[in-house]
Amino acid sequence: MSLVNAERQRALVRSERQPASRLESRAVWYVFLIPSLLGILLFTVYPLIESLRLSFTKGVEERYVGGANYAEVLASETFWYAVYNTVYITTFQLLIAIPIGFLIACLINGLRRGSNFFKVLFYIPNATSMIAAATVFLAILHPDGPLNYIVQLLGFEKIVWLSQPVSAKWGAVVLSVWHWLGFVIIINLANLQAIPIEYYEASSIDGATRLQQWWWITVPNMLGSLTLLLVLGWIGGLQRFADAFMLGGLQGSPARSLHTVVGFIFERGFGGNEYGIASAASYILFFFILLFTYLNTKLLKMKI
Amino acid sequence: MHDRKHKWKTMDAATTILLAAVGLIMIYPFIWMISVSLEQTANLALPFPPRLIPEQFAWFNYKLVFENNALFLAYWNSAVVAFFSVMLGVASALLGGYAFSRGSFKGKRLLYFIVLATMMIPFETRLIPMFTMFNDLGMINTKYPLILPSLINALGLVLAKQFFDQLPEGLRESAKIDGAGEFKTFFYIFVPLTGPITATVAILAFQDSWNSFIWPLVVINDQDLRTVPLFLSNFSAENGGRLAGITMALAAMSILPILLVFLFFQKYIIRSVALSGLKGE
Repeated sequence: MSLVNAERQRALVRSERQPASRLESRAVWYVFLIPSLLGILLFTVYPLIESLRLSFTKGVEERYVGGANYAEVLASETFWYAVYNTVYITTFQLLIAIPIGFLIACLINGLRRGSNFFKVLFYIPNATSMIAAATVFLAILHPDGPLNYIVQLLGFEKIVWLSQPVSAKWGAVVLSVWHWLGFVIIINLANLQAIPIEYYEASSIDGATRLQQWWWITVPNMLGSLTLLLVLGWIGGLQRFADAFMLGGLQGSPARSLHTVVGFIFERGFGGNEYGIASAASYILFFFILLFTYLNTKLLKMKI
Repeated sequence: MHDRKHKWKTMDAATTILLAAVGLIMIYPFIWMISVSLEQTANLALPFPPRLIPEQFAWFNYKLVFENNALFLAYWNSAVVAFFSVMLGVASALLGGYAFSRGSFKGKRLLYFIVLATMMIPFETRLIPMFTMFNDLGMINTKYPLILPSLINALGLVLAKQFFDQLPEGLRESAKIDGAGEFKTFFYIFVPLTGPITATVAILAFQDSWNSFIWPLVVINDQDLRTVPLFLSNFSAENGGRLAGITMALAAMSILPILLVFLFFQKYIIRSVALSGLKGE
């Protein structure tokens, strides 16, 4: 009787203690996560919710105005012009940088010696800050800069790059292609190296030429990474600010042709203290980014 | 067979020459930047036609930059901010990555999903509340807003988690048998093994911090607290194309630390860029 009792008591103690100690050992993991969770709460979750709240308010007294800010942003010509500029610069940036980066990566990948040297060489611009890069490009795009020297060598008239809306945007395209190309090359190289070598060996036995191998093996196997670059390029491109700001200032001169979506958020938020408008615009940007990501992944049937 | 080998060699040579030519174009802006910064007459007008080697060498642009207190201050500010950002970012990434790799706790999958999701949210959506929050805390024009957000380092955490995933579970079991708790196991057994991944996470955090622009632009107005990119952008906005020599010397000086770090650790950086891209970050 007493033995059974003791047994039962022991079992009871065990069943009481075990969950407690398990709980304790689980609680320790939350301690490991304190810095990250604190960071997420303070610098992601709270700002995200607060931004949404602000987007429905106006003025310093934060008066609730419903969707008025969204309506105002969506009806604003300045905003749509900023969207146009952003999309324009990004479209050409991607159209130029992705194919060129892909070709350069293929060439580097085919090298038996010196591939690491070229990897580093091409990546250097991407490692430096956009501010330093843009500072140099302000001089390159200067009427007496190297770009115009080439233009004149080719027999064309000198272009005052940053004084005309279209040429100013192309100045930004050139800068962003140059700054981003190294990233495209590195991503492509990583994926090129992931293509199973057996594919090439098998096709070699069948007598395929290098060019045939490239077209029938390399290109199809790289479609996934090219899509990924398209998605990443759009996400980064829609958020562009530093390059356009450096070339065109706060207003995106000339004639707002370098005014970007983030430039709009920045100008209204911190230039005009219109937190509501700026927050609404930032949520619209968020929506654009989600939409582009979704469309890209759907259109090209890619898994992220 | 021999003929084929020969063909390979010429193809390699041709490719190398082509790549070197394109690479020269890529790197030309930097070469030209240094050339202009060393040119005697560059402060009056840009040297035309553009040349690779200055016609008349002059060091005075660098001398002016060195003697300028403001640049030294900007360097100091950037260095302090980068140092603490890197420390915070690495600590939080290693701790978090370890918990997600080895821990079993409630909500693990959901929390990990949230960490991944934070990478998708554009910074601009959080910009204004982040500003008002630090403003309410009286931290505008201090280094805190530049440092504290490094607490969340999602990419670093993911990279660290994957690194820990590869380590054998036996390591933990043997430490546990010796009676070590989770923290002891983490600090004494696992952290010493994290050299390569710590380097990668630290370098990425350093690059982010050193190159960061829009956030410092928002929270720093005080001239003495400007970071290097703020200083450079102010200078070039104020002087336009007038002081090309000094501007290029400044740009070169601002690139130098990040370039040295990159050249020293390029293996880690290139691998982490590739990894982050493969993940779709």
